[in-house]
Amino acid sequence: MLCPVRFFVILPRPDPARIIIAMAFKVIIKKLRTVFLVCGAVFLIQPSYAQEVNPLAADPRAARVGGSLFRAQCATCHGADAKGIESIDAPDLTLMYLREGVTDASVFQVIREGIPGSIMPPHTFTDTEAWTLVSYLRSAAVAGTTTRIEGDTARGLSLFNDNCSQCHRVNGRGGSLGPDLSAITNRRTQDALVSSIRNPSASIGRRYKPVTLVLLNNEAIQGTIKSEDAFSIQIMDSNQILRGFRKSSLREVIYEEVSLMPTFPVSVFSDRDINDLLSFLQSN
Amino acid sequence: MKYLNLTKLLPAGLLALTASIAMAQSGNGPTYDDILNGFNDPSRWLTYSGDYSGTRHSPLTQITPDNVADLRPIWTFQSGTTTRGRGWETTPLLDDGVLYVTGSNNYAWALDARTGRAFWQYRRNLPDDLTYGASAPVNRGFGMLGNQLFMVTLDAHLMSFDRRTGEILWERELADYRIGYAATLAPLIVGNKVIVGISGGEYQTRGFIDAFDPASGERIWRFNTIPGPGEPGSESWPDDPKILAEGGGGTWMNGSFDPELNLIYWGVGNPNPDYYDENRPGDNLYTDSIVALDADTGQLRWHYQFTPHDVNDWDANHMPVLADIEWQGEPRRVVMVGNRNGFFYVLDRASGELLLGKPFTATTWAREIGSDGRPIILNDGSQGCLPDPWGSTNFYPPTFFPGLDLFILTARETCATYVSEEPANTPGQSNFGGTVFIDAEAGYGALRALDVHTGDLEWEFTYPSPTFGGVMSTASGLVFAGDHEGNFIAFNAETGENLWHYQTGSRIWGAAAITYILDGQQYVMIPSGTTLTAFALRAP
Repeated sequence: MLCPVRFFVILPRPDPARIIIAMAFKVIIKKLRTVFLVCGAVFLIQPSYAQEVNPLAADPRAARVGGSLFRAQCATCHGADAKGIESIDAPDLTLMYLREGVTDASVFQVIREGIPGSIMPPHTFTDTEAWTLVSYLRSAAVAGTTTRIEGDTARGLSLFNDNCSQCHRVNGRGGSLGPDLSAITNRRTQDALVSSIRNPSASIGRRYKPVTLVLLNNEAIQGTIKSEDAFSIQIMDSNQILRGFRKSSLREVIYEEVSLMPTFPVSVFSDRDINDLLSFLQSN
Repeated sequence: MKYLNLTKLLPAGLLALTASIAMAQSGNGPTYDDILNGFNDPSRWLTYSGDYSGTRHSPLTQITPDNVADLRPIWTFQSGTTTRGRGWETTPLLDDGVLYVTGSNNYAWALDARTGRAFWQYRRNLPDDLTYGASAPVNRGFGMLGNQLFMVTLDAHLMSFDRRTGEILWERELADYRIGYAATLAPLIVGNKVIVGISGGEYQTRGFIDAFDPASGERIWRFNTIPGPGEPGSESWPDDPKILAEGGGGTWMNGSFDPELNLIYWGVGNPNPDYYDENRPGDNLYTDSIVALDADTGQLRWHYQFTPHDVNDWDANHMPVLADIEWQGEPRRVVMVGNRNGFFYVLDRASGELLLGKPFTATTWAREIGSDGRPIILNDGSQGCLPDPWGSTNFYPPTFFPGLDLFILTARETCATYVSEEPANTPGQSNFGGTVFIDAEAGYGALRALDVHTGDLEWEFTYPSPTFGGVMSTASGLVFAGDHEGNFIAFNAETGENLWHYQTGSRIWGAAAITYILDGQQYVMIPSGTTLTAFALRAP
């Protein structure tokens, strides 16, 4: 007695790549453990050098796991968003990495040993747990492009107005379909920004996932998903209007893989164009 | 209009009179016989599952597939207490028009079932160094016998209240919370005993099931879920008293009871540490098992281990569902479990014989049970894409629909990689023993109806994200379930067709609905977020 097929059954997409990555990850962890044992031996002789590099730095899942751990174990004092709680003098950890001398290794050490003379106690997290916390704090940290981007700011403004402002805002001017780019260089690295311009579909932010809704009259509406449950979907359509739909009023919900943002290959935006654009964004 | 109102008042007045007589007769609360009577008196909901069977299947038929679309909220109650990372997991109890409700952080209330207004509120002053209780500050409900209520606490105590005043009658320590113990379940009243279990399997704890005398608060028996040195089952552990003494095996979800066999059925949780197993070779009995205990003595009658030598935190803390069904042409008394490891099990509940074990999710851990009754394990989690530690389902109640012979549960399809690592093993600190990497993009949830004779999927309804809502059914052919996005939903039990839903505004997490008759009208109730909502077909 299987139910009639509904339009909105979300089928899991088996992704062999994910499994392979996960398998490779286990191997990497094992190898890193060996490395750490070697480092540990060094550590005994020369106590000022802990492991310098976060072995999980390249794994995007580490920050998520660390985030869960953080919310369970650290949020009471530091707040669920790591922005601290003023009334108990718990510092804003998202600003931590802006301070001189703060590295992944030093954060690891503070998590493990606490801060003597303060309310911050030592913790018995395992190495992996502590590194996932470091990954989370790194991801939560206000960190962006640290060097000055060389480019023609005025030309960048012109490029932005012609190509980006329809969907992106800077200092309150522009569109809302994509993320606000005011001070974006403080939050993202130059490489990440270039990658987002060249290939926007490679990584699409959680609140900007593209979707096509087909109405009962076959009209198709494109937009980005803001929220969804089994019975409804909330989007910003491509005209930047917030619209909510009952799924019963739709013929189909198509989850798109391609971002609504156009790609900007070298033939459209030269490296110089991008530098000019980023220079403009950094100047704001 | 006034004339019409007067004529309406007359039968209402008569009804009130009848009700007050009934109250005078039964105002001193339920006896053991009343709890045994279960769903035969639909004006009451006297124990966690409504009766001892754990089927959560009510005989009520006022709300039907034809009229359920008219279901509407009648009142809401705001608890004012939130549960970080979890949900409002309670099942309210109902007697004489009063709801007895526990909340997160060991709040509790007596509420007027007609309006949602509180008669009294209780809040426990909890210590500020809670261990497991701090990370999961939940509670699943009261037990009730006579005028006494029973509640367990996050600092691992059992308390008895006078249900008329909320006054504390007695309290007993179950175990030392500072090591890692806590308690969250709804006490089960069996005869003249209050049966409770314990949480904290991630710490240096040893699980147990206790029976207490309701009047004196004295302990009558204790069953340890991890055997002592030399006791039966200890051969499944290393010969090390310290490892046995901290073997885990929490009993944090309450069980069911068969009065004829006089057996209590209870699920046991994960071994400690969760993911790190180098110090605990062997099957690690009775972790991740169902145990059948003699209700008088707490003696183990039989057990079945779902997940031998668990390294994935797959507690077997599920509501064991008891039913009498036809099995291959013969009547059979069975117990059914949808397990975190992804398998649906049917066992003979007198003997413990395994009758069926079949996957209900895409789990890659195992796909079949061998002829020796043990799973043929294919992936321990190190190879990726195994169900996450929350499992293919969890403690939230399923339902059994007799006649259709469907076992209906909330399934979770998730993808996780397990990396084990030796934990610090410190008292009062959790000992997961590793890290789990969950692919958040890959998960989804589904309400699934399984044919209990074959384990085959009869119908399903999918949710956008892995879901933690419980399930209830009614004899009129309805299934009520809740989802992670906050929808409280009604389905046609036979076809799985969605008939009605209501957005409660916060996820339904760990809770299942109850239903009852009040003033002649059928109500359905669900906790969600910080809110309890009562639904009926029309305003009273």
